[in-house]
Amino acid sequence: MSADATGVIHDLGYQRYDGDRLGRAQIVRTLTVYSLRAAFGLGRGAKAKIVPVSAFALMCAPAIINAFIVARGGTRAFPYDTYSAPVRMIIMIIFVAVQAPELVSRDLRSRVLPLYFARPLRRGDYPVAKFTALATACLIMVEVPLLVLYAGTIASSHGGGAVWAQTRALLPGLAIGLMWSVTLAVIGLAIASFSGRRAYTTGAVAIYFFLSLALAEVLIGVAGDGTAGARLGGLVSPLTVLDGVRQWLGGTSPGPVPAVGSYGAAYGVMLLALVGAGAAALAARYRKAGLA
Amino acid sequence: MTSVELDSVSHWYGNVVAVNDITMTIGPGVTGLLGPNGAGKSTLLHMIGGFLEPSRGRLTVGGSPSWRNPDIYRQIGIITERDSAYGFLAGAEFVRATARLQGCPDPAAAARRAIGLVDMVGPMNRRISTYSKGMRQRIRVAAALVHDPEILLLDEPFNGMDPRQRLHMMDLLGRLGAQGRTIVFSSHILEEVEQLSGTIQVMVAGRLAASGDFRAIRRLMTSRPHVFVVRSGDDRRLGAALIGRPAVNGVELTPKGLQVRASDYGAFSADIAGLARDEGIRLRELLPADESLESVFAYLVTS
Amino acid sequence: MPVYNRTVAAITLRAALGRKRALLFAVPPLILIGVSALLRLSHPADPAWPARILGDFGFSVVLPLTALIIGTSVLGAEIEDGTIVQLLATPVPRRTIILTKFVIATAATMVFAAVPELVAGLIATGGATRLAVGLFVGALAGAVIYNALFVCLSVATTRALALGLFYVLLWEGVLANFVGGARILSAGHYALALANAVARDPALKPGVNLTTSVVMGAIVTVLALAVAVRKLASFSLRGDAA
Repeated sequence: MSADATGVIHDLGYQRYDGDRLGRAQIVRTLTVYSLRAAFGLGRGAKAKIVPVSAFALMCAPAIINAFIVARGGTRAFPYDTYSAPVRMIIMIIFVAVQAPELVSRDLRSRVLPLYFARPLRRGDYPVAKFTALATACLIMVEVPLLVLYAGTIASSHGGGAVWAQTRALLPGLAIGLMWSVTLAVIGLAIASFSGRRAYTTGAVAIYFFLSLALAEVLIGVAGDGTAGARLGGLVSPLTVLDGVRQWLGGTSPGPVPAVGSYGAAYGVMLLALVGAGAAALAARYRKAGLA
Repeated sequence: MTSVELDSVSHWYGNVVAVNDITMTIGPGVTGLLGPNGAGKSTLLHMIGGFLEPSRGRLTVGGSPSWRNPDIYRQIGIITERDSAYGFLAGAEFVRATARLQGCPDPAAAARRAIGLVDMVGPMNRRISTYSKGMRQRIRVAAALVHDPEILLLDEPFNGMDPRQRLHMMDLLGRLGAQGRTIVFSSHILEEVEQLSGTIQVMVAGRLAASGDFRAIRRLMTSRPHVFVVRSGDDRRLGAALIGRPAVNGVELTPKGLQVRASDYGAFSADIAGLARDEGIRLRELLPADESLESVFAYLVTS
Repeated sequence: MPVYNRTVAAITLRAALGRKRALLFAVPPLILIGVSALLRLSHPADPAWPARILGDFGFSVVLPLTALIIGTSVLGAEIEDGTIVQLLATPVPRRTIILTKFVIATAATMVFAAVPELVAGLIATGGATRLAVGLFVGALAGAVIYNALFVCLSVATTRALALGLFYVLLWEGVLANFVGGARILSAGHYALALANAVARDPALKPGVNLTTSVVMGAIVTVLALAVAVRKLASFSLRGDAA
């Protein structure tokens, strides 16, 4: 109704920001922390926590059982380098299969990558941050139960000598755990980064890890003990490759892979190849992703 | 019978009451469901369409409840806010498939007719994933119309449409309503509802705030002053005379004419004619300044 | 009441198989067949090796995982996309929708898991032996039971795939081997018992006897489908603006 044709711009006291601008490192740090929290469902609703929390609880279960056994006078029930192998393998497969898509597929689906890259964030920073977050999450999942195992055992042991023996046994176990975390995280993310549909990528990651594991176990089983077939059968699956490298590095507890003997180096090479391929795939994926 | 009847219908999600004790009857013609975001319009439409169970109350469509009653879909066509078309099908395939699912005796012919109604004959053989947002909306309307339903429910149907498409859709809905179908559509954009529907249902925070013709609603709100613009032979003298009347709260001389704020619409209407005659002033124009839906809406929402 | 609707079937087939997803289900059976062929050529030391590759790998891993991916995608994808509304806004009975999708999923699982199991079995055992045929029959039954479970899971929850994974990997993979009670509730063991009824091979170790398996398998299938129908009939759309 007004006939006024003039306009006014009001002064709302808007000011330019002249202070410190935190740089790229801060962005990467924030993204990593945020992704780490997302890997455990923190900062989301209750439903997002079901899988990580129950997986974590199940991972700790053997360690807690061990505490009771040792308290009753038994010896430590699980080795530090393999922990409880079937439990650890299955649970970590499920954890990575469900959480890796949470970290990368979600961003692809909701197309927020242009938002990320419109900041001082290099192309390579995003996958590095996601990898660091997921590897740290896996590290927590794998090492904390080992520490609980350790604590439960020394709580019922007597004398400095026993504690020292436990500590010496623990440290290689922690190193193996680190290897697990890095490998599972990079492969899981590489597969998950291929699609924005979480159900599809969860299936793909789970199928890859589990199928290859079952195949490896069958191949090892049908080849005779001590044959080349049995020694090499473990190369088809990342989890058995990890186990083979463990033995090559001196781990003595029995595991899914039988004694690798002279083929240990092959396992080492395979592990490096898997991790390298995963990292390369991840980096290549994000060079162009998000803009299509 | 193609009416929708609601009797004390409520729905709550946990602690949040989305629809609060709504009683209304929706008959043939176009009814606009108006309200700000979060008012519960979608919830109400979902309940009418059988996609949500009322937590309380009775809701019937053409005499039978719509919840857990798949047969009701022979009479209803529904278009939800969220896009629900199959991207991998071509438009024509999609409408034809819907026709078959609806049990139409000649699915191909029904589909052709429906696609023609929404003016999508050109792109109909392309995949829906290649359509623009407005085109997707229109093909969904075609699918909802393919079985010639008596009742059509549309949730924010004009979202994503450019002005030309909007006009076309409004024209279509208007024609369908004139045929005697019951059309209910929701919107928070006042112009759409104003242009298309005669009857509006205004929802605010889950409650039904007003129903009926919007002009009539406006008139009912005598608690707010009405504003009129009067142009006459001598505005100043008319203004001086009007301010003496009890029905008048204020007058203002503006370049457009005499702006009068009246507290009592009825008394003012009676007064002004007599006053003008007594004073010998010729009345040229008397217009209500705020009949538009905008002011109705604003008053309802802020009160 | 009609049980099968051709239009629903056509849409489901195109939706579930017409995408890149189809590649995902083709890979495991190809691996199964390929590895069986390789082992046959290389004469492994363990004489019971066919049962190991066909049973521990094909039956216990390829079959349930394939059924999981297929079973959760025939309905789960549509619910997640929101396109299920188009199907539900028609007078097609909910039972028909569920049963049609179940049939498609089961048929696809049979094609992508049971038939390859047979092919691998023929290769590994050198012909239509009892083992190969038995595992094929068991896989057919497994396809039915697993898909009933996973279709039901898809309607009941949005995290059907994750929960299905827990079931297949943890419940069937680990627990059922160690805890006797868990075996009674394991679809894999029902199917294995059926397979063993034909194959009679000591390498297959079903933990549940045949009668119990058939009965429980039937009960689980019917119950899962009935629950799925009920849930679909009560499918609700939450208000978007609310």
